[in-house]
Amino acid sequence: MKVIFKLAGKLVGIVLVLFVATFTLYMTNGENKLIYYVVRPFLNKHYDAQSRDRRI
Amino acid sequence: MNLNFEKPLNMAIGAIDKKLERFDPLWQSEHGTGGLRSRYYDKTGIAKYREWRGCRDTMLDYVTWLKNLGMMGLMVAKDPVHMMKAFWEYRWMGSFLGSFAFVDRLFEGFRGRELEVASLHSNTIVRTLCGLIGTIVGNDRRLGGGPLTDQLVGLDETIPTLFFAGFPTLYPEPMQTLPEFVICDVDQHIEPYYIDVAESYGLPADVCSRCSAETGVTIDDAFPIFGKLVISTNQPCNASESTSMFQRRRFHSIGMDDYPFAFAMQHNEKEGNAYSAQELRNCIAKIEEVYNVKFDWDAFFVAAKRVNEQSMIEMEKWEILATPYSPLCGIAETLYKLVEWAIANGRIDYFNDTDRKVIKIMRQAVKDKYEPFKGKTRHRAFLWGPSAVYYTDLPTWTQNCWGLNLVLNMDSTMGHNIIDTHDKEQALIDLAKFSEKGVMRHHAVGGWANVNAVWDWAKKMNCDMVVVNDNVACKGMNGVHAMLEEQARDLGLYFCFIPHDLEDSRTISRQDMRKSISSYMSVVLNEKPLDETLVDFDDSEAW
Repeated sequence: MKVIFKLAGKLVGIVLVLFVATFTLYMTNGENKLIYYVVRPFLNKHYDAQSRDRRI
Repeated sequence: MNLNFEKPLNMAIGAIDKKLERFDPLWQSEHGTGGLRSRYYDKTGIAKYREWRGCRDTMLDYVTWLKNLGMMGLMVAKDPVHMMKAFWEYRWMGSFLGSFAFVDRLFEGFRGRELEVASLHSNTIVRTLCGLIGTIVGNDRRLGGGPLTDQLVGLDETIPTLFFAGFPTLYPEPMQTLPEFVICDVDQHIEPYYIDVAESYGLPADVCSRCSAETGVTIDDAFPIFGKLVISTNQPCNASESTSMFQRRRFHSIGMDDYPFAFAMQHNEKEGNAYSAQELRNCIAKIEEVYNVKFDWDAFFVAAKRVNEQSMIEMEKWEILATPYSPLCGIAETLYKLVEWAIANGRIDYFNDTDRKVIKIMRQAVKDKYEPFKGKTRHRAFLWGPSAVYYTDLPTWTQNCWGLNLVLNMDSTMGHNIIDTHDKEQALIDLAKFSEKGVMRHHAVGGWANVNAVWDWAKKMNCDMVVVNDNVACKGMNGVHAMLEEQARDLGLYFCFIPHDLEDSRTISRQDMRKSISSYMSVVLNEKPLDETLVDFDDSEAW
């Protein structure tokens, strides 16, 4: 019984931590800020430097 | 012991909502302390924080976001190598990273049941697109190929794929949907790049920007490569024929055969249907020959039954959309219908589940006389014309800023005839009719009667207004401006053009589009905005 309570407690703890982390990311719009200000400028630099097989 | 937590829970939520209501942008606009635009960084379209909609609706939106995040994460986790290669290879793949912001934009200001419906639709759309991206990227020869590479069939995105249900071992994948059509919804800056590529090779700048962008993708060698055959088409118009010709040169140069599937342009005529049915037979025969498979009528009928159920539900939705009590509205309706019809087209069963859930919510809303947007809708408009793909969330803005509900879009009325599921010959005729009335085609080509139907639809939907998306580069429709204006006057309907350049946000910006509506609402209708912060703002650097 003790083991079950311990496991259940851990599970609740993990779910709680995950909820707090994802809800904070959601409310602060964190993923969009990261993509807009960091990831996309980096990728755009790469795309602009590509040489492509352009022809009609 | 019967514990009832509902009452204390509602009381707790009510207390928290009251405490935090000043952070709700709708409350702010009502009380002059801000509005829906207040939480954005200037020009970028990036919000400082997400919208506070009250406890229940914020949690609903969070769960929707979490599901979308999970589906995207799963898509990458299933095939991380191909995914990374695709992000490195294709400029348009990078644009898909804007999907979270895109979904946020679509349903800004949605609360209660309209948010519930929008969430169901949002998850269904993201699930479908993740499946599409996963299949195409995971089997792209350019990225190393995959287990299904030879079982994929490339086809023009405007060809309805229902008939492919008769080939259960094959996977019809729209060629242009990822690099051009869908991605333009997500990122307004992606297609101008491809349009510039096309123009740098001499394509004139005044052609339809959708076709120009597709041509640019071709010239830039940015189509994924898969399958043994590409099925091209004349849908929806002559500009599409032109870009199909550019594309077939590229496909031929990489050793891929193409088959031109030409639908009848006069799709109201019986002879036209017979012609398109014969084209279907020919196309099926070509696929059988190239892929060495046999058309399976039983498998086709299963999918046709699915589509028939969708059409029946759709017609019931229209009855509810004609009332003030439809929680299905604006872009939540338009975008979902487009994906359901143009991408899934009966081959994906979970769309029927979503439809059943949504119609249940809608029926209940009618019973409860539930008015979306707290009854703030002032005008109801039928929307004619292909919308600017770079401004998908315009209907959300018209409702939030002016209380103008764009009730139904012409493309939502695409093929909805019932397809025979017993008689093979009749099924082909029904399928031809269903397929001819496709995207940008049902009300745009095939005779004046199809254009004129806009007035009947406006009446059927109890609209007091018709809004026409005016694609400035569409040679077909430029000629009927004056006639439409005259007819609207005769019928006593409010009438407004929204100029746009379909996929090129540089010609007419989102801000300019908003200005055209705002001028009409304030000058002609003498209306005051519901949210001052939405009237004029610059989002030129937003995705």
